[in-house]
Amino acid sequence: MDQSTLSPTMIEAQALSKHFDTEAGRVDLFTGIDLVVTRGESLAVIGRSGAGKSTLLSLLAGLDTPSSGSVSIDGHRIETLDDRQRADLRARKISFIFQSFHLLPELTALDNVRLPLEIRGAENPKHDARQWLDEVGLGERTDHYPSQLSGGEQQRVAIARAFATRPSLLFADEPTGNLDEETGRTIIDQLFRLNAQQGTTLILITHDSELAMRCQRRLRLHNGALTEV
Amino acid sequence: MSLLPRLALRQLRSQLRTTEWRALLLATWIAITLTTLLTLLGDRLERGLLRESANLLGADLVLSSSRPLDNDRLASIATQDVQTTRVVQFPSMISDPASTETPPMLVSVRAADTPYPLRGEIVTQPVQNQALPDKGEAWVEARILEQLELEIGDLLQLGYSQFRISAELISSPDRGSGFRSFSPQLLINRSDLDASGVLAPGSRANFRLLMAGSPEQIAALEAELDPTLADYERLLSLRLDQPLTGNTLGNALAYLKLAALTALLLSALTILLSLRRFSQKQYTRSALLLNLGLNSEQLLRIYLYQLLIAWGALALLGLASAASLDSLVQGWLSTLLPQQLPDATPLAWLSGPALGLVMLILLGLPPILSLSRVPVAHLLRGDTPPQDRRARLLQISCVLLLALTLLLFLRAPIAALILLALLLVGGVLFGYIAQAILTRVAEPLARRLLLGRLLRLRLRQQRRWHRLQSAVIVLLLTLLAVVWISRADLLSEWRAKFPTDTPNYFVINIQPWQRSDLDSFMQANAIDSALYPMIRGRLNQLNGKPIRPQLTPDQLGDNTLRRELNLSWALNKPEHNELLNGSWWSSTPEQPQISVEQDMMEDLGLKLGDRLGFDIGGQQVDAEITSIRGVEWTSFRPNFYVIFSPGALESYPSTWITSFRLEGERKRLATEMLQQFPSLTLVDIDQLLSQLATWLKRLGDSSAMVLGLTLVCGLILMAVTLLQALEQRRFEAALMQTLGASGEQTRRLDLLEFLLLGLVCGLLAGLSAELTLAGLHLALLDVDPKLHPWLWVTLPALSSAFFVLTGFLIRRPLQLDQCYRLLRSQS
Repeated sequence: MDQSTLSPTMIEAQALSKHFDTEAGRVDLFTGIDLVVTRGESLAVIGRSGAGKSTLLSLLAGLDTPSSGSVSIDGHRIETLDDRQRADLRARKISFIFQSFHLLPELTALDNVRLPLEIRGAENPKHDARQWLDEVGLGERTDHYPSQLSGGEQQRVAIARAFATRPSLLFADEPTGNLDEETGRTIIDQLFRLNAQQGTTLILITHDSELAMRCQRRLRLHNGALTEV
Repeated sequence: MSLLPRLALRQLRSQLRTTEWRALLLATWIAITLTTLLTLLGDRLERGLLRESANLLGADLVLSSSRPLDNDRLASIATQDVQTTRVVQFPSMISDPASTETPPMLVSVRAADTPYPLRGEIVTQPVQNQALPDKGEAWVEARILEQLELEIGDLLQLGYSQFRISAELISSPDRGSGFRSFSPQLLINRSDLDASGVLAPGSRANFRLLMAGSPEQIAALEAELDPTLADYERLLSLRLDQPLTGNTLGNALAYLKLAALTALLLSALTILLSLRRFSQKQYTRSALLLNLGLNSEQLLRIYLYQLLIAWGALALLGLASAASLDSLVQGWLSTLLPQQLPDATPLAWLSGPALGLVMLILLGLPPILSLSRVPVAHLLRGDTPPQDRRARLLQISCVLLLALTLLLFLRAPIAALILLALLLVGGVLFGYIAQAILTRVAEPLARRLLLGRLLRLRLRQQRRWHRLQSAVIVLLLTLLAVVWISRADLLSEWRAKFPTDTPNYFVINIQPWQRSDLDSFMQANAIDSALYPMIRGRLNQLNGKPIRPQLTPDQLGDNTLRRELNLSWALNKPEHNELLNGSWWSSTPEQPQISVEQDMMEDLGLKLGDRLGFDIGGQQVDAEITSIRGVEWTSFRPNFYVIFSPGALESYPSTWITSFRLEGERKRLATEMLQQFPSLTLVDIDQLLSQLATWLKRLGDSSAMVLGLTLVCGLILMAVTLLQALEQRRFEAALMQTLGASGEQTRRLDLLEFLLLGLVCGLLAGLSAELTLAGLHLALLDVDPKLHPWLWVTLPALSSAFFVLTGFLIRRPLQLDQCYRLLRSQS
């Protein structure tokens, strides 16, 4: 039985801890974090640089393994899944938007959007990719390479790539960090518009409190603890 | 040490751990080693064998002629106050008179007058008091003693005479040029020559007059003789003689240098890519140093010092490795070379390091210049400054300059230029073809496999690297296959193409009075052969007028006009010639008629009915062309461009020639024939071919070594290109895994990509090797090309194994938790 159709919970983290062993001794990034994110919710995680926001993101996305505690995504306990099952989960349900866009430089905009569709074996990846580029206003620039696009346009390609697989969970890690204010605003508008349209659960990592205000819920990661703001 | 060199040294030390510097150092080291080795070899061969100037020539000036020296000329030179002496050199068979078992041996006989030589000295073992053997004695090279199983004090048979071997010839000047200089040599006193009977009028020999005197006298004599030379005469002097061009060793060396060109190009490409990568990684550091107060010029100097320090260490290392390889090659060649090579000049040792420096500076200057000018704002923006036009222009000029340097170093600019162009065009072509095939192959895969769909994107993502990698690998594998196969195949195939009854002995210098006896000998022993007269004449008239003004410049360069022709006459058409047009004379016609070879007819634009005039020993003979013959030049039978009807040439002095085949037991008949007719020159084709085979094998060994180094260069370059793409590949893998691919999937994708790339490259290399070999077969050997099916299996297997192994050796597996960190780190 598919648990995802039953549960309103998208992510559930229990007693999540992460520490690193360094030459100088153990460094605890955070300990005992509990978090529940409901389906369709938008959540901002704010905090200073080095607070561990990105590590938390990779734990919640099942990209990293916690030192202790557990994470469930859409009812699947991450620690019980092997590499392939995790990959499958990511392919079906999760998307990312990065600060540095992370487009493959030798692929056109269209092929970049196509990549996750090909990974999940979509039926008509080229058509879907073209549609999503149209959606973000880049329908005329499908054959352009990343180096031929501005920063804002590259991030729009990344947004199209993120939504193309119709994910139920989207992680955005400082999505405007590399953009000027005005472009950043346009990008965020587009992101929230599509998010609302698709009913995607959004987890946004930022240190921009104005941007965080646009999310339904805000959490601050500080001194290893996560508190509601 | 002042600040800048210290900084440079520190920088270098820390960068030694980076792959781009390791590759750069390795490539430069190989380039220096190869260059030094080839220059050392070339220098020593030139000095040792060919241009040890006066010593090697045995004189200051040598008049060399294919006819006996003109008495008037000798008399005129004798009036000048220069020292002279005469030498005759010719090929001949010698044998051991005490043994009928040992087959006779083809040697180069030198008969000289005293004083001899005029310059340099002859070294013998045991040491002799005089410079020439006494009458009745001979000095021989070690190879003769070995092959005939003779010792000092034994007798040997040359023509009608027997000679006692009084010393082994260790080294001597005036060895002659061309093939003569490489045949084992025998030195006798010229006063013994007539008695041996081996040299009769019309015999093939080289007649030399050695001259020595003050530089002024020699210069005057040279100026006086030069304009009076007949076309069968040549002046050899220190100034004029460039013996390295156009002889076997020179060709061998040129061949080796061309083989080395590929290695040098690969090294240059590796250095270029490594430096480019290095400079990309150094932008931030440079901007930081500039920000901290260094100026551009200081920064430039730091990088230059860094290159220079690296070069200095590599130069020493390269010299050491070149020296050891040199002694290895000398070991191979020592059995072939007639004498010990002298040490190389100190200057020759400098060539490798010099070329290495030129490579590093020319390839390094553009990137380090742009490094020294990186804007400090790079620290803030983090972007890579775009290359301006001036920088690009500088880069192009530097690469062109380097190409020019390589061509100059190789000293065979035309051949090297053609090879360079072929490599470049071939490389680009193979790169694009390989890519096109990969794309086509990926399409059906993409329709069937999920991995195929990812492969299609991967091929697009990696297309530039694939082009470069396939170009290099296809060219390397082609080179490898061609050298490998031609080494073993070419000569044996060439020999195999001849019918089994192809003659394997030639007899030349048969005097007219020996003809009937020789005929009887042949008949008595059932040797199938036909004797042909041979008379030398020069073609000088066409239809009663001088021929030259009637021809085009192209025709004037034709072989038949540049030298004297061997003319013959016969009542019947030679059996192995084909009558293509006209009619053969049935008896002795009233007016002389001639039959001309087909190519000569075409090349000179002749037609039936034309009259050709020949200068034969100063007399004019005219004849009408009445037939055209097809001649198989490689039939190992006497062949002639022009055959006269009987009655026209009989009054001129002639020698006769024949060829025949002897096999197995019957080979002893050759020895018997020589015993019965000692003055004949018997040429054993099998012996000649096996000498040639030995040469080819040695050449093959030496080129295999150069090829080995070329392969190493190619592998380093491949590793560099794979490494250069490695970070991009890791980033791509991290992104794919984040987007939902599993680690196993990315690994399988890599495997599929490398396997396919290897297969396509291997097949292309197989095709290009077959085409090259077919070209060689057709152009060089005139043999029908054949397929080498095992190439089509071996090359794809080899190249796939190479890509998969290198790819997976270099590939570091990426754990899932590293993926996101890697992506973050690039933010």
